[in-house]
Amino acid sequence: MLMRLAVLSFWPRFWSALKDDMLEEIRIGDIGLEIEHAIAPRILFRWPLGPFEFVISDAVVVSWIMLAVIFVLAWLMGRKREMIPATGRQLISENLVDILLKLCKNAGMTYEQAETVVPFVGTIGIFITLTNLSSLFKIPPPAKNPAFPIILALLTVAYVIAISIHFVGLRGFWSSLIYPKAMLLPFKLLDFVIKPISLSLRLFGNVFGAYILMEFVYIIIPALIPGVIGLWFDLADGILQGVIFTYLSVTYIGEIVEGAHEAAHAHQERLQAQTAGKKA
Amino acid sequence: MDRGIIALGAALAIAIAAGAAAIGIGLASGKAFEASARQPEISGKIQALLLTAIVFIEATAIYALVVSLLLIFAY
Repeated sequence: MLMRLAVLSFWPRFWSALKDDMLEEIRIGDIGLEIEHAIAPRILFRWPLGPFEFVISDAVVVSWIMLAVIFVLAWLMGRKREMIPATGRQLISENLVDILLKLCKNAGMTYEQAETVVPFVGTIGIFITLTNLSSLFKIPPPAKNPAFPIILALLTVAYVIAISIHFVGLRGFWSSLIYPKAMLLPFKLLDFVIKPISLSLRLFGNVFGAYILMEFVYIIIPALIPGVIGLWFDLADGILQGVIFTYLSVTYIGEIVEGAHEAAHAHQERLQAQTAGKKA
Repeated sequence: MDRGIIALGAALAIAIAAGAAAIGIGLASGKAFEASARQPEISGKIQALLLTAIVFIEATAIYALVVSLLLIFAY
C-alpha cells in the first residue's frame, strides 16, 4: 500500500518536474501533442451516406498518386520492346520479372504456375514498396493507416486460397490441409486466420513505428540528421517490407501446392503397397 | 490513469520484446553463418531459410511495438 502510494505520488511530480525543467527550458513545447497531431489521419473530403460516412483521407490520395506513378513507370518500361534488349529500362523490367519467377520456382511452383502468380504478387509488392517510399518526400505513407495493410493482407490471403484451389483443385487443397495427419486440420484452418493478422500487423507496425520515429527526429533535430536516419527508416525499411510481403505471399502459395503434391504422392505409394500386398 | 506509468509500461513492453527478439535473431544468424561456412555450396538456400526465420522472429517484436503504441495513443 505504501509502495503504491509512493509510486502514485512520485510519477506526477516526476512528470511535471521533467516538463518544467527540461521541455520548457529547451523550448521544444509538447512533443507528445505535436507527434499526435502529425500521426492523425488528415481527412480531405467527407460525404455523409445515411448511417455511414464516405471519407477520403490522405492515405487514399497518396495511394492514387502512387498508382499513377506505377502506371507511368510500367508504360515507360514496356514501351518499344525488342528481342535483344538494348535499353536499360527493358533490362530492369526483365530482371524484375525474372527475380519474381525464380522466387516462385524456389517456393515449389512449376514455371506455368509461377507465370500465373507473378502479375498479382509483383503488383502488390511494387505497390507496397512505392507507397512506403513516399515517406522519403515527407508525404505520410498510407500504410500508417491500419486500414491499408489490413485490406492488402485480406486480399492477398484470399488470392492465395483461390489460386491454390485453381492449381491443385478442391481435392488437392483438402488433402494439403490434412496431409501428415487429419488431426492437424484445426491448426491449419487457424493458420488462415493468423496469416492476414500477421501480414497486416507486420506492415503496419514497421511503417507506423518508422513514421513516428522520423517525426520525432524532424521535431527535435530538424537539420541534417533526419537525412541520415531516414536512409534506413524511409528507404531500406520500406523496400524490405515490400519484399517481405511478396516473399511471404509466394511462400504461402508454394506451401499449399507442395503439400498437395506430397499428399498425392503419399496416397499413390499407399495404393501401390496395398496392391502389392494383395498379390502376395 | 497516470500518463507516467502508461509511458513506463509502454517502454517496458517494447524494450523486453526487442531484447528477446535481438537475442533470437543473433542465435539464428550465428547458426546460419556457421552452417554456410561449413558448407558454402548451399549458402543460398541457408540465406533464404534465414530470411524466413528472421521475419517470424521479428514479427513478435512488431506485435510488442503495436501493443506499446496502443498503450500510448489509445489509453
